[in-house]
Order: sequence, then C-alpha cells, then structure tokens
Amino acid sequence: MRLSARSSHAPARTSTAAIAAAVLLCALLRAASAAAASIAITLQLPDGTPLADAAVTVQPVGKKLPAPAPVHAVMDQMNRMFMPEVIVIPVGSTVSFPNSDSVSHQIYSFSPAKRFQLPLYRGKPYPPLLFDQTGVVILGCNIHDWMIGYIDVIDAPFYGVTDSRGSWSTELPNGRYEIKVWHPRMREESPALVRELTVDATDRAALILRLTKPLRLQPMEGQSGDTY
Amino acid sequence: MRPATTRLALAASALLAATAGHCANWELDLDLRAVTSDAGRSVLDGGYSPTRFSEHQSGLQLGRLRLALDMPVGELWKLHLDASAWGNAYENPVGLTEAYLQFRPYPRDSFRLRMKAGAFYAPVSLENGAGGWASPYTLSYSAIDSWLAEELRTVGLETKVDWLGTRVGLPFDVGAVAGVYGWNELAGAALANGGFIVDDRQTPLFDSVGKLKSPAGRRIEPFLQIDGRAGYYVGMDLQFPGRLMITALRYDNRADPSASDAVAHVLAWHTSFNSAGVRAEYGAGWTVIAQWLAGQTEIAPGSSVLEWPFNARYALLSKRFGRQMVSVRYDRFEVASRNAELDGQQSGHAWTAAYVFDPGKSWTVTVEWLRVTSSSYSWGEFLDSSDPVTDTQAQLSVRYTLGSTSY
Repeated sequence: MRLSARSSHAPARTSTAAIAAAVLLCALLRAASAAAASIAITLQLPDGTPLADAAVTVQPVGKKLPAPAPVHAVMDQMNRMFMPEVIVIPVGSTVSFPNSDSVSHQIYSFSPAKRFQLPLYRGKPYPPLLFDQTGVVILGCNIHDWMIGYIDVIDAPFYGVTDSRGSWSTELPNGRYEIKVWHPRMREESPALVRELTVDATDRAALILRLTKPLRLQPMEGQSGDTY
Repeated sequence: MRPATTRLALAASALLAATAGHCANWELDLDLRAVTSDAGRSVLDGGYSPTRFSEHQSGLQLGRLRLALDMPVGELWKLHLDASAWGNAYENPVGLTEAYLQFRPYPRDSFRLRMKAGAFYAPVSLENGAGGWASPYTLSYSAIDSWLAEELRTVGLETKVDWLGTRVGLPFDVGAVAGVYGWNELAGAALANGGFIVDDRQTPLFDSVGKLKSPAGRRIEPFLQIDGRAGYYVGMDLQFPGRLMITALRYDNRADPSASDAVAHVLAWHTSFNSAGVRAEYGAGWTVIAQWLAGQTEIAPGSSVLEWPFNARYALLSKRFGRQMVSVRYDRFEVASRNAELDGQQSGHAWTAAYVFDPGKSWTVTVEWLRVTSSSYSWGEFLDSSDPVTDTQAQLSVRYTLGSTSY
C-alpha cells in the first residue's frame, strides 16, 4: 500500500507557500483492495476551524476521463443572500434560482462562463438555466448590491463541496491525481490550492489542508443597495 | 377641512393610490418620543439651541411619522417617494424629504451604472443608511448629517458608475459619482445664522426652517433658485462591500453670492465644501465611522463680501449584540466668521450615546442621551455672554413599522 502527495508543478496551478505547514498527510489505515482508494480531504482555516463550502475537484494526471454526468442544482436566495454561497456543478448541468425571500431579486452574471439576467421576481417563475461552459460564474443582485454567489462549473471527473466539518471524500481508482481546492474568499496567493496525489494499492487516506490566511469577510447588508 | 389637513390627506392618498395595483413596497413608520431637555428654543424653530427639543418640549413628542414608497417602473426604473411629518415643525404638516426616479440597468463588463433624477440627498453621509435617510445607530444625526438634513438636497440629476471588482474575483469595488442640481441656493444660510446642530429633523422639500437675521426673523427657505446657475458635486468611493467604505466628495452649489431674489428679498448663498470619511464594519458586530467636512459659505450684499468658513467631524463607535446595539459618537464643529462683527461664529462639540433594542420586526426601542456644548457669538448677542452653553437632551423612542415588500 502506498500513497504520496506533493505539490503540483503545473505552472498555472502551483501553490507552494499557500498552505501552512504544508500538507498533513495522514496515512492509511488498512490493507488495500488493489483497484481503488477512499480519500477524505479536510480544509481548515489558520486557526484550525473547518472551512465549509469550498469546492474540491480531482482530475487524473496525464489522462482525460469523461466529465461527470450533468446534475440539477439549486441556488436559493434567503435573507438577501445566496444560499449556499458556493455550488459546484459539472459542465452541462442546470441550476434553478428560486427566491425564498419576501422581497424581489434581480439576478445577473456577466462572467464569461455564463452571462444572464433574471428580471425582478419572487418564488420560482423561471426555468432552470443551462451552464455549458467551465469556469466560475459570479452572481449578483441588481437590487441588493451586497449579494454575491458563486457557481463553479467544472469538467473534473470527481468533485464536491466541503461540508460543515470542512470535509469531502470520494472513491478514487488507483492512479495519479491533481486535487484542486477553491473558495471564493480565500486570500492565498494562488486562486486555488493545488496538490498532486498518487493512489496506489491503498484503500483509505486523509488529507488535511490548512490555509495560511483567514478568509476575506463575507459581504453583508450595508449601506449600498436598497434598504428594502 | 383646513388646507394643511387637506394637503396631508392628499399626500397620503397619492402615495397609497400609487401602490394600489402595482408591485410596490411601502413602509409606514410611527416614532413616538418621551423627551427631557434643558435646552432653549431650537435653532430649527428660530431659537439658539443646537438640539431638536427644548425644555418646554419635554414630555411626549412625535419623533417622526413616515410613509415611503418604492415602486418599479418597468424593469429597470424605480420611483421612490419619502414623506414625513415632524409635528408642527414646518409650514406643511407633511412633506416630501426625497422624491426621485432611479435608473438601474444591469451591470455589464464589470461596470454598474445608477442614475437618479428628482430630489434626494447627495452621497455624503456614512451613518444615515436606514430607511428615510435615518441613522440606525442614534436618534440624533451627527452635526454633519444634521446640517445636510436641515438645508441641503440635490434637486437635479446624479450619475454613479461603479467598477465591480467583487464580480471579477477581487475584494473591492470602486465608484465615481457626479451630480448637477439647482434649487439649493440658500444652503449655508442656516449654518451662518444658527451654526451646527445635532438633531434628526429633515427639512421637507421647498419648506422653510430656522430664521434669518436679515431680513430679520424671516424663515430660511433652502430650496430656492435665484441666479440660474447649476451646482455640482463629484465624489469617489472605495468599497469592500459591507466591510469597509472610504469616500471623498467635493460639493459646490456655484451660487452667485451677489444675486438676490427680488420677491423673497434674500441673497443667494455660495456654499462649497469637501468631505471625506471611512466606515468599517467587523464580523463581531463592531462599526466605526469617522467623517470630516470643511468648506465655506458666503454672500455679497452690495459691495461687501461676508464669509463663514466652517468645518465639522465626528467619530462613531457602535457594537451590535444580537437584537441590541450600543453606539457612542463624538462631534466637533466650528463656524468662523470673516466679518467685522464676527456674527455667526460658533465652536462646539457633542457627545451622543444610544442604545437600540429591536425586539421584533415591527418594533424598535431606542434610548439616547445627547449633550452639546457650543459657544456662539449669535447667542452672546441675546444671552449677554459668549461663554459656551451646554444643553442636555434625553429621549426614549418607540417606533412601530408597518410595511409591504411586494417586489
């Protein structure tokens, strides 16, 4: 059983100084079934508290696997905020934007991966939107200027979002992988933390990543935008 | 029915009628106060005290009765009307403090455009972000914002352009704003005649406030156009949304100080100022605001020029604990006089402390203590002393809000 991890050398993805104490790789617990391993990734803030809603994508190195099947996701609007703040979807997926607030919203994005506008609405008047290009789509509300949400449209075969414990896990076939972790309010020097990982004859591993800098604070209702 | 009552009924009916059949938001606030004060008659009412309520007004008072309407006009326009009553303070029992049409197209390529036409506040205040241009922190506004409420309003056009860094992965936005306006050529008269005050009354549009020394006893009508020249303001801001805001603004009403209104027998007041401020908010409920404003107002009757340079600044610290908020503010303000008689000179400071309790969606309870110490040559004229005078005012406010948020 063997599992290793090291920094990626991919120029655009390299993040060397970004992780404090680098990667704490805990090794593996049991003997392996040869073909696959379960990995658990935990993301922490500098003080050790878990970071939820971070996007995790895993891409094999040197070979291309087909993109995962499209899904249907929901980005709600509650208390004049996007809920959740971040979602991750495979390319070709659809997303609904219900408004659960009592006030109307006017949602837009001018991100290259998806430009759209949803005129003033409450409830669920619009059909889901198709996201057919990869990239981060940043959402705003034209009424409540502080509202910001993020949709990470990916083509990596393995993906997910960290839970309230800052964790995400999956099953990976043996091989070499690039693991990317991204949160919109990370202040690391690179836009995403990238690590390479080799899965080989091991059935379970835990990877703990700790950020060096606290997150930027989440925008909140302030003076900008309408007050009601 | 008395004309005033008729006007009140018509204004209320117009606002309510405008909401009927449309997807409009409306808000009705009733703010009642229990007041104790040792001050003399307020500058706002033609007296010499820099507080809203006098000793004779101690007791139960109407803080404010407000009806506001936000109505979409098509997809990208919005009409905003804000009407208030402040007791028997003004010629009209109810008046509009703001009324404007706003154009807000969808942001494109990182830029957001906002345009306003009508009557509204210039973007100077860093504390008055609540509905009706009220402060969420204290009942009484800072001296800077009290002055704006007393005699400044943009009656014209404003354009704001923001570059939205937050929509392209950066933590901040940058904005630029410019306004062109008229009907504000007595702005500055209240400062020169009564000095800075600390209160929360907003002079309704085209109403009058305080009094002039010349013509003696005449109420000041801030919203007059005398010389036909438009004023302007330009400003910049840097925002880390909801966390940090830094602003700077240049304001000049470009009034011709030698121009006079033959009917009203008043001169145009040329008023200009610079303002800068910062507001920071932290995750633990802390808010810090600091603002500075300095400028000058002048008139030129006959061959003479009378000038009153002024400046004011404040710092506010506020802490929210769930449904409760405690705030403390310190104001300093001065009005100088370059006239031979030093008429209108003032120097003072104020402490304001407030506790706000928000027990539910409809109720807000606020307790505020205010102490203003101010010297004034104008007062000395009447009180036979130019020594500083200290006025103390305490208020308990109970506010009930009804509203509909249908768009």
